[in-house]
Amino acid sequence: MKNTIKQIFHSGKFVTGFVIFLAILLTIIIYPLVVAKDPLAMIGNGNFFKPGTYLSIQDTVNSGKTYKMNVDATASIVESKLTMDNRSMMAEWLEKYGGVDASEIDVTDAEGLIALWEEKYDPNAEQKGLIAAKKKKYQRLDNEIDGILEDVPTIIAEKNEETGELEEVQSIDSKQYINEKDVINRQNFVLGTDNFGRDVLTELISATGSSLKIGLVAGIIATVIGLFLGLLAGYLGGFVDNLILFFTNLFTVIPSFVLLILISYSVGESQRGIMMVALLIGITAWPWTTRSVRSQVISLRNRDHVNLSKLSGHSMLRIVLTDILPYVASYVVMAFILQISSGILAEAQLSMIGLGPATTKTATLGLMMQWATQYNAHLNGAWWAYFPVILVIALISFSLNLMNTGLDQVFNPQLRD
Amino acid sequence: MKGMKKYYTQKIMWYLLTLVFAVLLNFILPRLMPGDPVSTIASKSVEGMTDATAIQKVYEDYAAKFGINKPMYVQFFTWVKNALRGDFGISFSQYPRTVSDIISSSVLWTICLQLPAIIVGWILGNLLGAIAAYMKGVFDKAILPAFLFISNVPAFGMATVLLFVFSLKLHIAPAAGGYASSMIPHMSLAFMKSVLSHYQLPFWSIVIITIGGQAIGMRSMSIYELNADYVKYSRFLGIKDHTIVKYVFRNAMLPQITGLAMSLGTMIGGNLVAEMVFSYPGLGTTMLSAVTGQDYPLLSACTLIITIMVLLANLLVELLYAVIDPRVKASQQD
Amino acid sequence: MGKVMLEVNNLKTKYVTRFHEDVYAVDGVSLKIEEGKSLGVAGESGCGKSTLALSLMGYYFAPLHYISGDIIVDGRKISGMKPDDVRKNILGNEIAYIPQAAMNALNPTQKIIRFVEDVIHAHDPKMPRKDIYDLAKERFQILGLPEEVLQKHAVELSGGMKQRTVIAISTILSPKVLIADEPSSALDVTSQKMVIKMMRDLMEKGFIKSMIFITHELPLLYNVTDDIMVMYAGQIVEKGTAKEMVFDPLHPYSKGLMGSIIVPEEGVREQKLTAIPGTPPNLKHPPEGCRFADRCPYAQPTCRGMKPEVIELPNGREYRCLMSERKVREVYANA
Repeated sequence: MKNTIKQIFHSGKFVTGFVIFLAILLTIIIYPLVVAKDPLAMIGNGNFFKPGTYLSIQDTVNSGKTYKMNVDATASIVESKLTMDNRSMMAEWLEKYGGVDASEIDVTDAEGLIALWEEKYDPNAEQKGLIAAKKKKYQRLDNEIDGILEDVPTIIAEKNEETGELEEVQSIDSKQYINEKDVINRQNFVLGTDNFGRDVLTELISATGSSLKIGLVAGIIATVIGLFLGLLAGYLGGFVDNLILFFTNLFTVIPSFVLLILISYSVGESQRGIMMVALLIGITAWPWTTRSVRSQVISLRNRDHVNLSKLSGHSMLRIVLTDILPYVASYVVMAFILQISSGILAEAQLSMIGLGPATTKTATLGLMMQWATQYNAHLNGAWWAYFPVILVIALISFSLNLMNTGLDQVFNPQLRD
Repeated sequence: MKGMKKYYTQKIMWYLLTLVFAVLLNFILPRLMPGDPVSTIASKSVEGMTDATAIQKVYEDYAAKFGINKPMYVQFFTWVKNALRGDFGISFSQYPRTVSDIISSSVLWTICLQLPAIIVGWILGNLLGAIAAYMKGVFDKAILPAFLFISNVPAFGMATVLLFVFSLKLHIAPAAGGYASSMIPHMSLAFMKSVLSHYQLPFWSIVIITIGGQAIGMRSMSIYELNADYVKYSRFLGIKDHTIVKYVFRNAMLPQITGLAMSLGTMIGGNLVAEMVFSYPGLGTTMLSAVTGQDYPLLSACTLIITIMVLLANLLVELLYAVIDPRVKASQQD
Repeated sequence: MGKVMLEVNNLKTKYVTRFHEDVYAVDGVSLKIEEGKSLGVAGESGCGKSTLALSLMGYYFAPLHYISGDIIVDGRKISGMKPDDVRKNILGNEIAYIPQAAMNALNPTQKIIRFVEDVIHAHDPKMPRKDIYDLAKERFQILGLPEEVLQKHAVELSGGMKQRTVIAISTILSPKVLIADEPSSALDVTSQKMVIKMMRDLMEKGFIKSMIFITHELPLLYNVTDDIMVMYAGQIVEKGTAKEMVFDPLHPYSKGLMGSIIVPEEGVREQKLTAIPGTPPNLKHPPEGCRFADRCPYAQPTCRGMKPEVIELPNGREYRCLMSERKVREVYANA
């Protein structure tokens, strides 16, 4: 036993999978201890805030501690204020009348473009074949650019309660800065927010926890049913075996996905909690385990040590428990690991059809996917609402499968490459 | 040959029996649950009606159609009789379209998407897996973890990734639907072009997912076969390596065919969810709208059709396999 | 003295394990077989006899590696030839091989005749399929195999039939040397007999010119081969005619092995079946002195320190021991 465990931990695949899985598990456990917010608290008002730190504007303005810097904040503002239409108009004029070579004009560089414009543009220059209206248009454009460059301070005003007029309290120019740390009210959304304005990261971690729980419960149920039926069929043989085999084959061919949809729909929303979904997944996922256990038991059934036990008059229960179970244990563990990962996937797919856990109190990976697609996150480019979820599903399944492959190579040496 | 005939008959009979069970389950499962679907249907149809006689009329219609008050087995036969005629009732969510009308168009989309995608994915996956097993070294070391990871990405996940990259960022392919929403399905070059451009992303997401899983399986089967006794023996008879490689890959591929049959149900299920991501007009999207629209007749018809499709595909694969693998024939002669 | 078909001088090969350790499984083997003769190789499992079979082919692939020594087939040196030349010109048509596990030696999904075609085309790509079929049919008939076998898949054949088919295919190009690695060990008694008869037929009908027969079942060797060679821990410990080896073994290991033989013609010998206690040494680090010393009932302290060299007797017998022939006989007489 000790030797087997040592061998298992010598398998690179198993260890890689194990480390990934452990990392996920530790995150689920440790994160809530550090960040104690409700994973489903709706913090933002509105859909899909992109990842980043959000500062309270009022706090920023009122923090009082401002710093003058010699760096002008307009530099980046120019980029955002100069529209694409204006840029192409500028480029056109510069090329036609400014005598600038097309290769020198870069419309993606707003500052450079404006510098060029300031240098070359002359409203009185000869502009051949240009109608007056167009000339006017260029002049307007020139004024507009001057406006962009001009540093107009933002004025903060307060309403005077007596006169009802606005009075200037503060004027903020583009060289005024504030230290991020002076702003008390900050919200950090590492992965943005979802459609309900909830912090995706916190939600994701709690969802991973509940999905793992679903996978685990579903896996246990499927394994217990599969093990029981497999042992029964393999050990008893004959009619019982035929019957169980028939149903096992039946349920391997009839897609469990379809059964799951039918049952989940019929159970109804009021009944469909997290545990119910796990149960449903479990009771539709047993055939694979049954198959593998059954074939193992059949190959064990006539081994000498089993026959010896039979001759010694041991009870069937004892033979199964002491002479058969230890030998199929490795297969059962491997099947169990796969059941967990397919259970998590099944929940995700079920939820995406709208038949997942009907709850607003807990998130699961599937529900997060469902919310994201329902609110068209995938069409709006709000990648943070679904990519992390997919990545987590893939990582869980990847790590579990790696562990399984590692175990398989230890238990079936001929598979080693 | 007589043995094979028996084999085929047995297989077909077995699948027929499975079909009967599947149909039974499709009928019974929902009826075992609280809230008999037929009563639900009837009560839904009268929602908003105020005229008492009209309500009465609707109930009577349904009673006649589904035989609500008759014993379960009579209901079953009525249901089967209707189903055989292709009559699955009228959809709630897309009233007044009939369920069979909705299904028949979406089935075609799903088959045209999934069948080629699964086949292409299977072939490419086996090819890459075989190459990885044969080349070993860097190619294998680089490609194996990649495939291992890809094979664990759910189909809908791959769908969203492709959608994000190729549609939202690169604007190469359209994001949703089976054809441009401004068009009405008809036979024309423009429409076909639109269909084809909408086809790419769902197609490739299924292909890539299939490749991942198949390549892994093929790789380990090939490694297993490369160590087989017949490889050593053939080498010692002076047979060229490339002839031996042909033996190996043929033999490694055979279990991949049965593997495909076994996992077809799971695969198709996953792919249906991927269809939904693209709002592809196939069964996946139809199923989603059936669930959101509380459209029971449509949903149960979808599940039935999917089951039949999976069973048919399985049967075909198994029959094909018997032709290809002489071991099946040999086992029939005993 | 007949023409020498196979001559091997001081052949050394090794296995490289997954953990990059070297295992010297064939460690300085020399042998010689003349036309029309057969040589048996005996030894416990793990003594290197199967590796010897593979090493004699002159075609090495992982995990087996060639170190040194010569292999000369009918006057042509094949050790040191390019692997592809060995494959094309030697394997199958000069030296042929019958594997230990013939049960799985045939590709399960290929028709026998297709495989025969591949074998022949590997050496003579131009031979028409019809000629191949005729050749195979004739050969199969002579060897007592039904013609229908050619049209079957390996999975449709019984174990004995499979083994005989493998033998027929291995020898279809009439090789000069046939190396048979436990060809009959996994079979039932009836099939064993048929296989043995077939091996004899091959020699008598001239389909093979010489044969090396490897087995752990000594009675078989006594009945089938002219000479017997005993291997221990990668080395040859004794060589002689079948009769000498069975009735008058010189090396203590041979003696131990022969102790387990029952020769029907002579009646049960006045000896109990004895198994040799102990296990063969680990070939990753072979012992300094005599490799058998740890298990030898007659071992002296010197045996563990000194490497025994091969002693050649005037009548051509060879054995590897520190004791002289006289001493050996004396020791055995007193035992």
